[in-house]
Amino acid sequence: MGREACSTDSYCWLDFVRPDFRRHRAFWYARSLLPNNLSAASYSIVPPIVPYPKGSRLNSQSPIEPPSYPLPHGHVQRSTATPLEPGLQLGHLHVVEGRLAHFNAQCARERSSPAPLTPPELLKGERTWLVQTLGCDLNLVLHTIIVTEAHNALAFIGHPAHDSTSFAFHSPALQGGSVAGSIPVSRSSSGNEIERVVDQLAARDRNEELLSALHHFPAQEAKWAPMPEWVRPELVAAYGDKGVQRLYSHQARAIAAIHERHNTVIVTPTASGKTLCYNLPVINSVLEGPDVRALYLFPTKALAQDQLAELHELGERLESAFGVFTYDGDTPSDARAAIRERGHIVLTNPDMLHAGILPHHTRWTRLFESLRYIVLDELHTYRGVFGSHLANVLRRLRRVAKFYGSDPRFIACSATIANPAELAQRLTETDFECISENGAPAGEKFFLFYNPPVVNRYLGIRRSYIHESARIAQEFLKRDLQTLVFANSRLHTELLLTYLQHANRAAPGREQSIRGYRGGYLPNERREIERGLREERISGIVSTNALELGIDIGSLDAVVMAGYPGTLASTWQRAGRAGRRNGSSCAVFVASSAPIDQFIVQNPDYFFGRSPEHAFIQPNNLEILVNHLKCAAFELPIRRDEQFGGIDVAPICERLEESGYLHRTGNNWHWTEQAYPADTVSLRAVTSDSFVIVDTTGAPETIGEVDFPSALTTVHPKAIYLHQGQQYQVERLDFEKRKAYVKQVQLEYYTDAIRYTQVRVLDTAETLRFEPAESRNEPGATRNHGDVLVRSQVVGFKKIKFFTNENVGSGNLELPENEMHTTAVWLTLERSLIDSLLFPVRDRQSGMHGLLYALSSMATLLLMCDRRDLGTAIGERPPLLGLDLEWSESFGFGEEREYFEPNLYIYDVYPGGIGFSEPLYEIANVLIARTRKLIEACPCGTGCPSCVGPADQGSENAKEVALAILRRIGAVSR
Amino acid sequence: MSSGLQEQFSRISAFSPVTRREPSSHPEPQDPSNLLTVLGGEIARNRYGEFLVARQWYSSPERCGADTEVLRLLLSANSELTEWELQRAADPEKWLLLDTETTGLVGGTGTYAFLIGLAWWESGGIRIEQLFMRDHDEEHSILLELADRLAERPVLVTFNGKCFDWPLLQNRFRMTRQIATPAFAAHLDLLHPARQLWRLQIGSVRLTELEQYVLGAESLGWSRRNDIDSSRIPEFYFEFLRGVAIDGIAGVFHHNRMDLRGLAALAGRIFRMLSQLEGGEQEPLELYAISHLLNRRGECSKARRVYERCLSMKLPEPIARRARNEAARLAKRERDFGRATELWNELASSSEPSWEALEQLAIYNERRARNFNEAARLSRLALAELRRASRLGLITPERHEHLSAGIKRRLARLGPKLDLGCAWQSEPLPKMLK
Repeated sequence: MGREACSTDSYCWLDFVRPDFRRHRAFWYARSLLPNNLSAASYSIVPPIVPYPKGSRLNSQSPIEPPSYPLPHGHVQRSTATPLEPGLQLGHLHVVEGRLAHFNAQCARERSSPAPLTPPELLKGERTWLVQTLGCDLNLVLHTIIVTEAHNALAFIGHPAHDSTSFAFHSPALQGGSVAGSIPVSRSSSGNEIERVVDQLAARDRNEELLSALHHFPAQEAKWAPMPEWVRPELVAAYGDKGVQRLYSHQARAIAAIHERHNTVIVTPTASGKTLCYNLPVINSVLEGPDVRALYLFPTKALAQDQLAELHELGERLESAFGVFTYDGDTPSDARAAIRERGHIVLTNPDMLHAGILPHHTRWTRLFESLRYIVLDELHTYRGVFGSHLANVLRRLRRVAKFYGSDPRFIACSATIANPAELAQRLTETDFECISENGAPAGEKFFLFYNPPVVNRYLGIRRSYIHESARIAQEFLKRDLQTLVFANSRLHTELLLTYLQHANRAAPGREQSIRGYRGGYLPNERREIERGLREERISGIVSTNALELGIDIGSLDAVVMAGYPGTLASTWQRAGRAGRRNGSSCAVFVASSAPIDQFIVQNPDYFFGRSPEHAFIQPNNLEILVNHLKCAAFELPIRRDEQFGGIDVAPICERLEESGYLHRTGNNWHWTEQAYPADTVSLRAVTSDSFVIVDTTGAPETIGEVDFPSALTTVHPKAIYLHQGQQYQVERLDFEKRKAYVKQVQLEYYTDAIRYTQVRVLDTAETLRFEPAESRNEPGATRNHGDVLVRSQVVGFKKIKFFTNENVGSGNLELPENEMHTTAVWLTLERSLIDSLLFPVRDRQSGMHGLLYALSSMATLLLMCDRRDLGTAIGERPPLLGLDLEWSESFGFGEEREYFEPNLYIYDVYPGGIGFSEPLYEIANVLIARTRKLIEACPCGTGCPSCVGPADQGSENAKEVALAILRRIGAVSR
Repeated sequence: MSSGLQEQFSRISAFSPVTRREPSSHPEPQDPSNLLTVLGGEIARNRYGEFLVARQWYSSPERCGADTEVLRLLLSANSELTEWELQRAADPEKWLLLDTETTGLVGGTGTYAFLIGLAWWESGGIRIEQLFMRDHDEEHSILLELADRLAERPVLVTFNGKCFDWPLLQNRFRMTRQIATPAFAAHLDLLHPARQLWRLQIGSVRLTELEQYVLGAESLGWSRRNDIDSSRIPEFYFEFLRGVAIDGIAGVFHHNRMDLRGLAALAGRIFRMLSQLEGGEQEPLELYAISHLLNRRGECSKARRVYERCLSMKLPEPIARRARNEAARLAKRERDFGRATELWNELASSSEPSWEALEQLAIYNERRARNFNEAARLSRLALAELRRASRLGLITPERHEHLSAGIKRRLARLGPKLDLGCAWQSEPLPKMLK
């Protein structure tokens, strides 16, 4: 009974289901539980929903009236498997299956009347009959009966008190049926509780708008494999003591591959025992040869700490046969020497490797001389800029290892992404064996998508997703379900924490049971919280992505995600934090009004289908490459004939020599600078620069942060900065100290920065015309990618009145100009296409802006990148009068623009490009189709932040124009 | 290189040229072949190739006398030299003074020691030998040369060599993968003793400052008037490598020689100071520093003598208090209670009575003199002083808490005895009541 097992048949009957029932939990149950063949003798569901509170009206209900027509008793076969126990029936929802034809015939014969029963009559009788059949005499309600094409019928009965949804019984599908039987399934207590919350959420959803998906994943059995014979007996014993006597199938395959000296990447979900896949072979090697060394790389310090604890435990069982240490910024300097000498396994992070270990490799002679394994955990985090940097750090690492005569192998672990082996190979430049099938067991699990209700349909404004997340989390918390809430920023973490702590006051003298967890907390406090979670002293926790990666906090009952985490992989990772081995768990995604969130929440199939995300890196980005080559020269002189990641280094080194960084002696370039090159290269971000927003209304208080590029547009002087629905006016922008001082205001307008962005194409790498769809016109558009020059400056701002969107004033600004060479993808809309748009010029203009807004939103989704990684601009198709003027507000769009053929640019916000443009060019068709789907599905009137951006002043057709363009160029909507 | 690549390169900020100050004094390029003349050096050769060596002999500073006692004092407390090794290390003939000039101060594998300055006493004066790599490919040969010198004279004498020069040289040796890092018998780093001896007087303890204020620069026979700005040393070397200018590097050679001579003079001064504890011509502050050093190294009786000597001289008041305190503690340890109480009384009767002295006096009165009333009175005074010190922020609240708790315990212990003490204060206690 797998969830992918639904046959055509079962889909057919799903279509008969009444729409309101689709929202009912039972429907999702049925969908996930249905076997291929509906004529199976009997199946049953369904978990108890509510152990009824005392004194509920159930007990006082009068008995059911006798049936008004003879029942086809002859056809009822009671399930013999499990008689219903009175205690269990309460609140059960039963699914009963029968064969339609039999029932019809029976009815006709016994009633000797050709007229079919009216549904109410039938149902009344049916209900009583079912109740009798099932052997209980409670006041059950037949929710609905579903008939399949194969003349099977499913009856859903339950109790009226289950939820507030009242079903009107007029299903046209109901023609009668006979009952095969029913078996209630008893469940663990936490299952009960989880389902009650799920039911409650489902019940709240009256207009089918809140819950867009309710997926049920049945429990999965473990697939076992024996411990291989080559594992040392003491290690087998140590794992045996921990309770690991045999391995899951994927673990067995992974360690076999590693044992056979393959570079191996393991891709399985959270909590599937990935760490064993590398710890076991590494420790085994150390036990066999005490000179063996291994380097573990984790993206964060906290993860390394967590692993340390696990390895220490193993080490104790093995009588400390190996040394394991973390080496990071927190390591005390007096401990470092010992670690260098005695650490068989050193746990560190890429930043420390880059700036702390490689430039001092002479102190790590022992490690590098015997380096056998390099473990890259959470491989999927190494993408984009970070991944491109790491690939170069690994090039340097291998270079140093080679100097000491070792050639380490790689073991990588990743969350689910589309191309784990490819990513691993790009990062390390060696081949990988990929192990992806999962043998770990899992408990039953629900995954809900929740879209906060719309409060202003015209402007597309929804209720705050933060508040909604807090409400949902509270549903779990008040039932004593251990709950983890993920927020996407520190500020939201604190907000949610405040709400939840307020709602769950600790009793005096008792420990606060709701805690926060984020980067700024001290290591000890974090350890304490992690322990509290494992020991279930802490019932609720609000976290940033800090808990997303594999820190061991045990598994929890429920996860609430406030806002889309940004990628499918992260979402699955976060959802994976909920998951009891036995018993139910639940993950809820609460969508914000950002386009990506809205796309995901409205297209659950996109999410629940196979992960389409690819992780991309561009290690040969020249800026990154040159920086790392400088670091490499500092570490070891560079030979003239040397290759660095397959690149011939000579021209770069010659250039570095000219600039004064290197000096050539014979065949070697040596570092000739006093500064320390690694110090100036940060692996993490495009820019670590950000502005702090300080509210000076009362006592100065920091309310948020914006990164440098968006600071120029959102917190320029006099800007209205919206934060949690409150308006703030920026009084002063302190460039030096990176601070924006704001004051609370009540104004009728908001501001929109006028950014003047010029994009000039430097070199077009590829161009392709969009193909016409069948029986359509030539679309009149091309897609391109190549190198561009982006020059941008914020020159002013508009004041725009709320609701009416009138322009009520403007101002000029003098802010610094930015210039950057990067790569871009652009769509060129030709004149034929523009002419075909039967809209006024202004509408076309805002339509194109809106289209670009939606395209870039969708691109971040497809590319698994951050919104900040991509920039957009609309520009003239060059060359025209030798000018490449940005199509900005200050520029008229009149008659003289007759031949305007715009380019819609999406560029990488990183000097030199970071490898998004080419893949985006390759998947342009998908991008177009998905964007179209996003806009088509949006319920707003004329554009909202969830699709084409806020409606522009004086143009109401942005959405239609954008759609018209997409329909013309997009082949077929998928 | 293709113009396309050049154009691409021009956009990369990582290529932006290194910002350097103007080349040193002579703007016009000089012929590097003048080097030997300018530096007064010669080409030497070993099995790894050529390098430049500049040799000089100076009559000053004179060879310093060394004895094992002082050496033991100077080597850090945890050095594990046996008596015999110490004997050997105390022979200045075995000393190799070392000071390197490097391409940066940050350490790491990309920092080179391009000039290794060595010095030792020879023929009544000092011999200086500077090993210089004219290019990176001469690094092996100068390192091998250093290893040979160190084999002849296995006691390394440096100024801050433990933290800087030697780890860097260790890196360089390891980077060769051919020349083993040489071992030394002992490493005498004069930075720490110098810091202990003169920090009170001159604050920062840099070699140039020590030369000026402690060693008396003029009497050394050289001056630093034409010395280079040492932060520009890497730049001068890079200029030299690129053939831009060589007088910068000549200045570096000179600077290095002066550092070595300063190091030699400093060694002499420290040994002289520490070997003539009685009747030397040290200043009071130096004497205090010496006694403090002796005290920290566990040389109690010597330390006490020096404390007494410097107390007999004129010390600034805060230092004198410290000296009295430490001397009293030592006296107590040697069970010289007479002198200890004298010192404590001096401390307790000053305008700012020391709580420590008051407490010690209380202990003395309780345990030795068995004058419980006096002990209680002193304890109460000590408590008041502690409160004051805490209010002024001289001690942390936690420490205050801890110390006053101890005194309160004493007061509580004294309590019952006081009642008796009041009645028969002047009389000895009747036997039966005891």
